[in-house]
Amino acid sequence: MRSNDVLGFVFADTLSEKIPELAASRTTASVPIGGKYRLIDFVLSNMSNSGINNVGVVAKSNYLSLMDHVGSGSAYDLSKRRSNLTILPPYGGKTFSSYVETIYNMHGYIESCREEYVLIAPGNIATNIDYTEVFDFHSKNNSDITLIYKKGVVHSGYERPITLEADADGKVKQIFIKPETCHEEVNQVYGTVLIRKSLLMEEIRKSLSLNQLDIKRLIQNSIEKFNVYAFENKGYCAAISSINDYFKFNMDLMKKEVRDELFNPKHPIYTKVRDDAPSKYGLTSNVKNSIIAQGCVIEGEVENCVLSKGVYIGEGAKVSNCIVMQDTKIGCNTNLNYVIIDKDVTIKDGRSLMGFDSYPIYIAKKSVV
Amino acid sequence: MFPKQEVVAMLLAGGQGSRLGVLTKKLAKPAVPFGGKYRIIDFPLSNCVNSGIEAVGILTQYQPLVLNEYIGNGQPWDLDGMHSGVNCLSPYQAVEGADWYSGTANAIYQNINYIERYDPEYVVILSGDHIYKMDYNKMLDFHKEKNAACTIAVIDVPLAEASRFGILNTYEDGKIYEFDEKPEHPKSTNASMGIYIFSWKELKKYLTEDEAKEDSHHDFGKDVLPAMLEAGERMYAYPFEGYWKDVGTIDSLWEANMDLLDPKVTLDLKDVYSRNPMMPPHYVSSEAFIQNSLVADGCNVYGNLEFSILFSGVTIGKNVTVNSSIIMPGAVIEDGANIQFAIIAENTVVGKNAKVGENPADVENRDNWGITVIGANTKIADNAVIKSKVMIDSDTEVTGNEE
Repeated sequence: MRSNDVLGFVFADTLSEKIPELAASRTTASVPIGGKYRLIDFVLSNMSNSGINNVGVVAKSNYLSLMDHVGSGSAYDLSKRRSNLTILPPYGGKTFSSYVETIYNMHGYIESCREEYVLIAPGNIATNIDYTEVFDFHSKNNSDITLIYKKGVVHSGYERPITLEADADGKVKQIFIKPETCHEEVNQVYGTVLIRKSLLMEEIRKSLSLNQLDIKRLIQNSIEKFNVYAFENKGYCAAISSINDYFKFNMDLMKKEVRDELFNPKHPIYTKVRDDAPSKYGLTSNVKNSIIAQGCVIEGEVENCVLSKGVYIGEGAKVSNCIVMQDTKIGCNTNLNYVIIDKDVTIKDGRSLMGFDSYPIYIAKKSVV
Repeated sequence: MFPKQEVVAMLLAGGQGSRLGVLTKKLAKPAVPFGGKYRIIDFPLSNCVNSGIEAVGILTQYQPLVLNEYIGNGQPWDLDGMHSGVNCLSPYQAVEGADWYSGTANAIYQNINYIERYDPEYVVILSGDHIYKMDYNKMLDFHKEKNAACTIAVIDVPLAEASRFGILNTYEDGKIYEFDEKPEHPKSTNASMGIYIFSWKELKKYLTEDEAKEDSHHDFGKDVLPAMLEAGERMYAYPFEGYWKDVGTIDSLWEANMDLLDPKVTLDLKDVYSRNPMMPPHYVSSEAFIQNSLVADGCNVYGNLEFSILFSGVTIGKNVTVNSSIIMPGAVIEDGANIQFAIIAENTVVGKNAKVGENPADVENRDNWGITVIGANTKIADNAVIKSKVMIDSDTEVTGNEE
């Protein structure tokens, strides 16, 4: 299987209901993350770096920020004569809650693409993966459907994913939907699936005619009929399905090994560029253990934070364990701890805001505190 | 057929910049990194775009590879229009022969074809070695208002320094009556900034005449401008107010970088465009301490940084001290090293506990100290000591001490 024979198909709204604050005015895929990125940058960069030339991004609602961010796809090298990125808003004005109906709604687009295979991916995954290994694995095993999984413990209180059991060769034996949490590592499936396009559409059509709209059941039933294999993503992988996941992922970036792996210069993560100057540290700044994007001006104290582009931290401010999105201004002598601050927020001088490790406070876009 | 452009800008970028030593060994002066993420040429190019000039020719000759690659299709500066944009113009072969650019005027003369495609009224001549932000439109308005053949931008310099510049002596209304190149006893403090606006018809005439003169250097300052003045053309000095610095020497390059950290200096980096490397935001560790510095994307800082500028992808190890220095893209400063008043070029590695440069007792007294410069892709060994004012060549390995 050649990479240019695979269509990328990304869902922009994956689990947006689980992060209602962050996704209030945007898609899951366009949630700002890691200082200068949006969530979708990871999957689009992975696809581009793996040689996929054609990507469709399914958007359901509030997709202005998504369109603004990915634009023509040129930032990911997906806007050339032989490569393409298409945003797929609801066709015929209809939105669907099930993936089966959503995929069927896009059958015109999917079938018009000349690629033989399709790689379906959710828009809430931050990882750096070489999909060509998945393609080789798929071909080698003569697989009909390949699911990518990640080993990990599902903690209580977190979204319970689909899990699977596979034999030593990777052939899937069982699939569980929403299993009870336990303290052992399980093989979690976040929804990245490689499948022949004709098979996908055939199964989707069958499901629709049976009024069977649950895609999880569809996958579960497929192991009886098809060769279903599971490919392990051995690298760092974060699925953002709660505000705690979001907070934890940003904090994970303080770890060198996580940064080195996610931002591997051999297969970089691309994003829309803004012309920000390098960040300026003032005479009273004191920054510890933080990730700082360009265009920031820092006069105060910052510890364990992720600061996006163009953030201002006033003199005497104490900002700890915070995620601050682009162009937010934090005034002088403020005191902030465990706060997620959306973009264009103004925190006036002298304000204090305290969240907690397990319960970070969220301040909405354009608020004035 | 090209749509007409009222103004075409020609950017002189072919000089070697020999006074920048090892920094311009493999790249032209306009491509020298500046200000944490820029190259010098970003300033005049961004000025052009922000002044609405859509056709820019860059005259390249010396080591053009890095510069050509950097400019590319001009997209970062919005200079990738369908019928206009940026072009790198190297010397070329023609039926009548092949010539290097023998001077600034000759470089423009050889590209008359390029200019005439746009059928312009005015041509702006710029240099690729100045740091400043300027709206060329205002200067053009002045040029039109005076009905001038040539307008030269001038900046007011302190009288004590005037003898280092080309001084223009003018009447009260700005009309130039005399050029005074580096005068011993300057009559005024109007220093030429090397920015000229010509009415194209006149310029073309004088370029063609100059080309025919055998004893000419084919240089704007030495030949073309004096010839125009002698012929009685209307030449005016346009007074510019704001930050402007010629960064043709190591000292001035270092100073201009340091000016970015000085709150009293009026230069800001807003609306200066550049090509952006794809790197993650920078990381500052728990052991790090950063004050009054600029840090670009992709850096990892574990040490101490004061009055310094880090370009993209620089690593500063643990217990490192960097003071009043400029560290260019991809350089690695290993644990325990001490960098004082130095410029470290791209991808150079400074080994553990090495000492580069010295903190001068008296900054004003330039006879006793100077900036230490380490060229690109060089390896400084662990514990090595590189004294002040030393310049280390690029692509070398320094094992011992250098004085």
